[in-house]
Amino acid sequence: MEEIKKNKVSEYLKTHINDVASYGGLIFCILVFTIIPPFFGENIWSQAKLANIISNVIVTALLSVGAVFVYSLGNMDISIGAQIRVYAMLIVLLGNVTGSLLPGILISAAIAIVIAIINGGAGQVLKVHPIIPSLVFMMILQGVSSIAYAKLGSRNITLRSVDFSAFKSTGLMVLVLVLETIVVSYLFYFTKFGKNARAIGANALAAEQCGINLLKFKVISYVIMGVMVVVAAIFQMGYTGSASDSTGTGFEMNVMIALILGGMPLSGGMRSKVSCAVVGSFTYSILAVGLPLIGVPTNMTFLIKSIIFIVVVLFTCRKKNGVLPR
Amino acid sequence: MEAIIEVKHIHKAFGPTVALKDVDIKFYPGEIRGLVGENGSGKSTVTSIIAGMQEANSGEMFYQGKPWKPKSMIEAQNAGISMILQEANTISHVTVAQNIFAGREAEFSKFGIISMSKMNAAADELLRKYGLEHIKANHSIDMYNFEDRKLIEIVRCVNDDTKVLVVDETTTALSLEGREILYKLIHKMADEGKTVIFISHDMEEILEHCTVLTVLRDGDIVGELNGDEIHALAAVKNIRYLMVGREIGEKYYREDYDTSHSDEVALELKNVSFGQIKHFNLKVHKGEIIGFGGLSGCGMHDIGRICYGIEKLEGGRVIRNGMEIKTPLQAIESGIGYISKNRDSEALILDGSIQDNIVLPSLTALENKTYISPKSEKAMADKEIEAFRIKCGSGKQWVGTLSGGNKQKVSFAKWTAKGAEVIIMDCPTRGVDIGVKQAMYSLIENMKKQGKAIIMISEELSELVGMADKIIIMKDFKVTKEFERSPELKQTDIIEYMI
Repeated sequence: MEEIKKNKVSEYLKTHINDVASYGGLIFCILVFTIIPPFFGENIWSQAKLANIISNVIVTALLSVGAVFVYSLGNMDISIGAQIRVYAMLIVLLGNVTGSLLPGILISAAIAIVIAIINGGAGQVLKVHPIIPSLVFMMILQGVSSIAYAKLGSRNITLRSVDFSAFKSTGLMVLVLVLETIVVSYLFYFTKFGKNARAIGANALAAEQCGINLLKFKVISYVIMGVMVVVAAIFQMGYTGSASDSTGTGFEMNVMIALILGGMPLSGGMRSKVSCAVVGSFTYSILAVGLPLIGVPTNMTFLIKSIIFIVVVLFTCRKKNGVLPR
Repeated sequence: MEAIIEVKHIHKAFGPTVALKDVDIKFYPGEIRGLVGENGSGKSTVTSIIAGMQEANSGEMFYQGKPWKPKSMIEAQNAGISMILQEANTISHVTVAQNIFAGREAEFSKFGIISMSKMNAAADELLRKYGLEHIKANHSIDMYNFEDRKLIEIVRCVNDDTKVLVVDETTTALSLEGREILYKLIHKMADEGKTVIFISHDMEEILEHCTVLTVLRDGDIVGELNGDEIHALAAVKNIRYLMVGREIGEKYYREDYDTSHSDEVALELKNVSFGQIKHFNLKVHKGEIIGFGGLSGCGMHDIGRICYGIEKLEGGRVIRNGMEIKTPLQAIESGIGYISKNRDSEALILDGSIQDNIVLPSLTALENKTYISPKSEKAMADKEIEAFRIKCGSGKQWVGTLSGGNKQKVSFAKWTAKGAEVIIMDCPTRGVDIGVKQAMYSLIENMKKQGKAIIMISEELSELVGMADKIIIMKDFKVTKEFERSPELKQTDIIEYMI
C-alpha cells in the first residue's frame, strides 16, 4: 500500500514537473525575499517596493501573456524589444504634435499588425525558420529608430503637453494585466484560435490533416501578440513619460526567460499555458527587485539569475527516451 | 537449461492504467518466443522494459544470471539486447551507411575523421549479407520507402553480439519479400542459440515461426503453448479464447456478398495526375467499400492522400458534391475523413489528450459564436471513448500513453465524431489485434449500411477480400486489375497482379 502511494506521488510529480518547478520557483522566491530582507533592514512588501515590483513585472507580464500564442506554436519572436522602442517613440512624438496619445497608439497598432502578418506568414509561405523574419524586423526597426533619434538630435524624448500620470497608477497596471490575462486565457482555452495554435505546435502535420489552416492560425497568433506588444509599449512609455534609443533593449529575452521560468515548453504544443507567462514574469521580477535588497551587488544579479534559470531548465527539460542511436 | 532472461514480479502502471500486474516470464536461448495478446495486454510493455526503453515500477529482472536494470536502449543494445519497433526509427537526411553505423562511427575513424568509403563498404557488405542488394549504402535514406527503412533498421539492430532480438510488430510494415528476409534472420538466430522475442497480431505467422507462445491478457500471463499445442488444429481458437477471455464467435469479416450500393457518387477522381500516377479515374458511391491493394510502393497510399486534398495535383480534379477538393480543410468541410497510415506522426497528437485529439476536426461544429464549451468537448469525446471502448483512465489521458490499437481507435473516433460521410482509411488495422480488428470490421460494415462511402487501402489482402465490394489492385502506380466481391475470390488469385 505504502509502495503504491509513493508511486502515485512520484507519478504525479513526473507528469506535473513543469507546474511543480514553476510554482515552486515562485513560492521559493517569495519566501526567500520575505524572510531575508528584514535582516538588511529592508522589506519587500513595503508599499514602495511592491509598486516597484508591479511596475517591473507589468511590461514583461503584458508581453509574455501576449506571446503565449506564438510560443505555443513552438515559434519565438525576437523583434519585440525593437518594436517597443519604435512604438514608444511614435507615441511620444505624435503625442507632442497632436496633444493626444491616441494617434500614436493607433499607428503603432497598425504597424504591429502588418509586422505580425508578415512575421507569422513568412515562415509558413517561404518555408524559413520562423525566427528569421523576426530577426529581419528587429534589424529594420533598430535602423529606423537610430535614424529617427539621429534626426531628432537627442537620445531621448519626453512627453510635454499630454498628461500621462494615469499610467503610473499601480491599480491601472494590475487591472490591465488582469484584463489581458482574462482575454488571452479565453482565446487560448475556449476558442479555436488557442486550440489550433497548440495543435499546430504539437504536431503540424496532424493539425493540417484535421483541416487546420496553418497559415491563418499562425498569423492570428502573431497578431494577438502584436496587439499586446502595443499595450506593453504604452505602459513602458507611460511609466516615465518618455522614450529613448535604448527603450525595450533585451525585452525579447526577458519574455523568453519569464516564459521558461514559468514552465512553458519551448517546443510549444498542448502543454503551453497562459499561467506560465504570469508566474514566470512574477518570479523574474521578484528576483530583479529582491536581489539588491539582500545585499547582492547589482553586478552579480545577472549571474545569480542565470543560475536560477539553469536550475529551472534542468528541472523542466523533458527527458527523451534514448531511442536513437542504437 | 538456464534462462537467458528472467523477469520476476514486474509491475508497471501509467497513471491509473495498469499495464503489467505481476508478470513472471523466462526466456531461453534458441527459442523464438511469440508474445500474443490484445492491444494493451502488456506485450510491448514487457519487452520495452527488458530493452531499456522504460523502467518497471517494481519487480526485478535477470540477464545471463545477473541482475538486469538497463537505464537506456543504448545500454541494452551494448549488452546484446536489441529491439525493432513498430514505428519508423531511422534518421532522416543522412546516408544508409550512417544510419546503420549510428553511434559506432569510431570504428571507421582515424584521428577523429570518419572514412566514409570504409563505412560504405562495410554497410554494403552487411546489406548483401541480408540479401538487400537493392539498397545502396551511400544513398540518402530519404530515397527509400517505409519498408526499406524498416529493413535498414533491422540491419542496424542486429549484429554478431546480439543475444536477444525483440521484434515488435515489425512485419506489419513489411511486404512478403521483406517478411521472408526477417523470418530467415530470426530462424538463423535461433539456430545459433540466440533468443528471439516475436510480437505480432498475424496469427498465421506466429503459428508458423514461433517455437513457444505466451499469451497475455490485461497485464497478466494467461497461458503458454509449446511445440505440439501450437501446431494443433484448434490452436488458433484456443489462443483467441485465451486472449479475449471469452468466445469471440466466428464472425470476423463481412458475411454478406451483397455489393449493391447507391448510384449516387460520393467522391470522384477525374483524370488525376500526380507524380508517377497518370490520368487516374475513380468513382466511389454511397454505401460502397472500395479496397485498394498492392505492395507498399505501388501508389495506393498516394491515392488516399490525393482524395483528401493533401497532394497538389499536376492534372485532373477531385470532386465531391460538385465541389472541387484542393485542401484537407475543403475535404473535411465536404464530409471526408482520412486516417493516415503514419498514425503517430500524422494522424495523432501524441502529447495531446484523447479528448483534444477526438474533437480537433470538429471544433467548428462545437463553436457557439467563438466559444467552445469544455462540457461539449467532453461530451463528444466521452461518447466516442465509450462507443469504441477505448481503454483509458479518462479522456484527459495523453494519447501517447495508449497502446497501438487504442491509438488507432482514437484516429477512427475523430471522424465518427465529425460525422464524416466519406472515410479514407490507409491501413486501418495496422498493428491492431483481433479483438479490435473485429470491432473495426463491424464498424466499417455499419458505416456501409449507413450509406457512407469507404476507401480502404490495405497491405493485408485478407481484409480486402473480407470487406471490400470492389478491390482495385495497383502495381507501379497503375491499376493492374479490379475484382468484384465474391465468395470464390482467393488471395492467391490476386497476388499475381501485385508483384
